[in-house]
Amino acid sequence: MTETTTANVKKTGKPPAAPEAVLRLNESSLIPGDRETLAAWKIAFFGAIVLLVALPIYRPHPFMEILSFVPDGLTATFTVTIASVCCALILGLLAGLGRIARTTIINRIATVYVEVVRGIPLLVQLFYIYYALGPLFHLNGLMSAIAALSICYGAYLAEIFRAGIQSIPKGQMEAALALGMSRTQALWKIILPQTVKVVLPPIGNEFIALLKDSSLVSILAVSDLLRRGREFASTTFNYLEAYTVVALIYLVMTLFFSRLVGLMEERLRTHGRQHH
Amino acid sequence: MRIFQKAILAVATLAIASLPALAALPKLTFGSDCTYPPMEMLDANKKIVGFDIDMIQAVAKAGGFEAVVKNTAWDGIFAGLSAGDYDAVVSAVTITDERARTMDFSIPYVDAGQVIIVNKNLNGLTTLSQFGGKKVGVQIGTTGAIEVQKFKNIKMKSYDEAGLAVEDLYIGRTDAVVVDSPTAKTYVLQNAKYKDKLKIVGEQFTDEHYGIALKKGNQKALDMINKGLAIIIKDGTLAKIADKWLK
Repeated sequence: MTETTTANVKKTGKPPAAPEAVLRLNESSLIPGDRETLAAWKIAFFGAIVLLVALPIYRPHPFMEILSFVPDGLTATFTVTIASVCCALILGLLAGLGRIARTTIINRIATVYVEVVRGIPLLVQLFYIYYALGPLFHLNGLMSAIAALSICYGAYLAEIFRAGIQSIPKGQMEAALALGMSRTQALWKIILPQTVKVVLPPIGNEFIALLKDSSLVSILAVSDLLRRGREFASTTFNYLEAYTVVALIYLVMTLFFSRLVGLMEERLRTHGRQHH
Repeated sequence: MRIFQKAILAVATLAIASLPALAALPKLTFGSDCTYPPMEMLDANKKIVGFDIDMIQAVAKAGGFEAVVKNTAWDGIFAGLSAGDYDAVVSAVTITDERARTMDFSIPYVDAGQVIIVNKNLNGLTTLSQFGGKKVGVQIGTTGAIEVQKFKNIKMKSYDEAGLAVEDLYIGRTDAVVVDSPTAKTYVLQNAKYKDKLKIVGEQFTDEHYGIALKKGNQKALDMINKGLAIIIKDGTLAKIADKWLK
């Protein structure tokens, strides 16, 4: 993807200063260069892993029982997260393009969608899709969860896509049009490839946010990680132990992915520099 | 000036001396998950009503204390008890060995058991062992959930509230709901929305007793509650309350 971008830049003869400036603004997650953050990340990540291993060894009852009770919850959490991210990406790209469309009706639909969905809390959306619309659509818990998370995060991703597209300097589009491309061609061949580079880190962060928010689906009786923890705690009364394990598992997952996003960001940045 | 000071002192002494007389009744707070008709629920004015509420007020009157009921979520109700958010739990709590290990129980006040609710069209299934491979809804952490968990081949779905489990059965996303018999009767026999679509099948398949749960070692409160309970059981007050709520 980066190769195409540099090729495009060369073709249009525009220095890549602007997209790089945008990238700097996105340094919100972990940046491997930042030594303090990296040290803190290491403490949190390895600390959590050590605890997850040590606790069951040190106190098999009830930690071993909890660890053997929750794995299928982890599967549900991942299923919901990954399916939702895929649907949200498609929905977000379409709505993001709609937000910059020149056709009034398309623009209006996309904008209303983004405004409405961003104005309703995710928890309310979940209840709405599962219980309020339940008699109409008969979606099961998992499908309702995926639908609600996709619709919600699609709206957030739409704004990221729109901002990303708008961050590409105007000159890129002008140059493409001057070379004889149509507006659509220019969008797909020149603008979007560069947008991908700009939006990847924030999309990565949204993915992590979605992974955490997926814990909300436990209210739909979807047996996700949190629900399994709650089920265990509510019959054995080991609240401290059960929720400690649940929190640690979430922590390991989100720290792992935030590091991946950080590495990706770093790569994109150094890659951009090499071609100066 | 001196006389004035003395007068104030006298009034203050009198006030302090009369305080215990005014607030003679010790106050006990009770946690309750008010989503469980007919045992405890909110009426149209958001007031907490139900069998347990009438019962605990009668117990308080007989036992000589003041009872205040606090609405709380079932999931975590016992954690709140051990954290000291309230002195006791009166929330259709079944006395089980497992629970009795971590908390104290009053003498039992209601006999209830688990029953199965299904769709009216579903025939031939009357005991839990016949529900292998089917989806059965329960409320999280209840004795119903514990019973269903004994059958590994049943797909259990656990809800935050019994009402949500019944609604999902009504929508058709589960095949049955396992819940305490008084609550099942309220949903199936009295609720206008559900009574034509749902039915209770088979017999009550567990023998359970509701008790008031207290933090271990709170002997003073336990004695007051047990004293009050014994009185209202003996004089027929409890039977009257049962007539009102558990038909």
